[in-house]
Amino acid sequence: MISIDKKSAAAFLDSIGKSFSFFFFLGKKVNRTKVFILISFLPVIMAAIIKCIQYFNKNYWLEDLSVFSNIIIFFYLQFLILILALFFGSSISSEEIEGKTLTYLTTRPIPKSALILGKYSAYALLIILMVNIGVILSFAVLNIDHLLDFPRYKILLRDMGVLTLGLICYTSFFAFIGTFLKKSILFGLIFSFGWENIIQYFPGSTQRFTIVHYLKSLLPQPVRGRFSFLLFRLEPSSTGTAIMMLLLITAVFLGLACLVFSQKEYILED
Amino acid sequence: MNPVIEVKNLSKWYGNVLGLNDVTLQIEPGITGLLGPNGAGKSTFLKLITGQIIPKIGTVSIKGKKVRNNYPLFREIGYCPEQDSFYEELTGKEFLLRLLSLFPYSPPEAEAKAEQALEIVELTKEKDRVIKAYSRGMRQRIKFAQAIAHDPEILVLDEPLSGLDPLGRRKIIRLIKEYQKKGKTIIVSSHILPEIEAMTKTIILIHQGKVFAQGDIHYIRDLIDTHPHIVSVKCDQPRLLAEKFIHEDFVLNVKFSPAEDSLLVETDNRDKFFSLLPSLFIENKIEVQEITSPDDNLQAVFDYLVGK
Repeated sequence: MISIDKKSAAAFLDSIGKSFSFFFFLGKKVNRTKVFILISFLPVIMAAIIKCIQYFNKNYWLEDLSVFSNIIIFFYLQFLILILALFFGSSISSEEIEGKTLTYLTTRPIPKSALILGKYSAYALLIILMVNIGVILSFAVLNIDHLLDFPRYKILLRDMGVLTLGLICYTSFFAFIGTFLKKSILFGLIFSFGWENIIQYFPGSTQRFTIVHYLKSLLPQPVRGRFSFLLFRLEPSSTGTAIMMLLLITAVFLGLACLVFSQKEYILED
Repeated sequence: MNPVIEVKNLSKWYGNVLGLNDVTLQIEPGITGLLGPNGAGKSTFLKLITGQIIPKIGTVSIKGKKVRNNYPLFREIGYCPEQDSFYEELTGKEFLLRLLSLFPYSPPEAEAKAEQALEIVELTKEKDRVIKAYSRGMRQRIKFAQAIAHDPEILVLDEPLSGLDPLGRRKIIRLIKEYQKKGKTIIVSSHILPEIEAMTKTIILIHQGKVFAQGDIHYIRDLIDTHPHIVSVKCDQPRLLAEKFIHEDFVLNVKFSPAEDSLLVETDNRDKFFSLLPSLFIENKIEVQEITSPDDNLQAVFDYLVGK
């Protein structure tokens, strides 16, 4: 019995691997990915501009790490990872339905849940790479004079970790939304820039109903710099709780996405 | 012979719209033509037997096994959908190769099968072009290729000949017949009778979600042959042509178009009509521009048969 279970688990993992390979390849080729690569590199340009101003205007002084943290918080955490997770996550099932390519997938000898998990992994990896390459380049530009100052890399690694957790968590949530809502993008925008942006500032335990609360709990409080007001009123959870909650949210919504996708009937309209 | 596909009391409706109504039938190896006008329920039937949609009532089984979410069964099924949808950014070869990678094949096996399928549908030269640059006929052929690439036992083809030029149609028909010789089960849908006729004698007539008739094609052909057809002939001397036709007993009615550049002939014997037509053109030196059959579609035939 155990050997049969092991065999089917191995077969399921193999199916996820096949699905991952299919969609990682496809994801690299689609125009949407190219557009989002450009968007995810905007902070690098921003960093370069700041560095140039600092270089040419000696009176203008800004602590490099403070600028880096502000970019991370303001642009990546509050905007880019939400947009990337929304467009890639919701498209996991909706692009197959709207593009009517779902038929090609559901008539292959592969479980539907493996298709979802494989495609989720592929798209999550793509956007994690996009964001983290942008983060590394921004960091390098801003700290060009201190590249051998190794303690600074701890901050870089911490921020990359937080953003990666944010991406996998939001992507699983939007993957679930995409399996049953036709207008998942609209819902996602309202959730991202409505719910997430407002509820996080509510005092007490209400803010724990947002994903961004757990992400910000992993960042130091308060952050110096002009955008530190964004963390105002945050009542952080402990690091362990925050990581556990983010992983739990990811697992729950991925499980739900697999369940809905396997059971729901999708009518491809002519 | 044991049926490969068996459906019992199959019904499906979309909201208030009836897709299929209480269909019970068995399909054996060989080619089975699913014939019906647009909106008759052909695609709904094919989607039900491939487990893509869920029946409201009834059951579907393939080789005695349930279909929906029975993913190992899809090693034996090849499905060519009606819709013209693709992963447009992929090349023809990538499309096949990536879909084959979802089967338990090693990369060299998948590569060989993709190449073989491309060769069969004669797209080897165009294999490295992106699908969005393909012509309608090429898109139809690559869609057919993905259905046959894994050499399935059961082929379900939804309007596989639409969008193909006459040569392309002949090639696909020949391929389908070759599959039949290998003992495979093929279901092919169409709303064009001659297409189905060219492939098989076993047909299922479907109309308004119901199986109207099932069996040999000859008896339905006989019925259709006596159905009055209207043929439009656009030529330089329509009145001369009308004069020649009016004496024939198989011509029921002759009319002219408002522009007087074409002739509408109603006949109850298409074979006689079309065998006479070329000789009239030649003998009377009539220059023909176009011959069309405004009511030569299954809807007209079905309306006639249902009325009858």
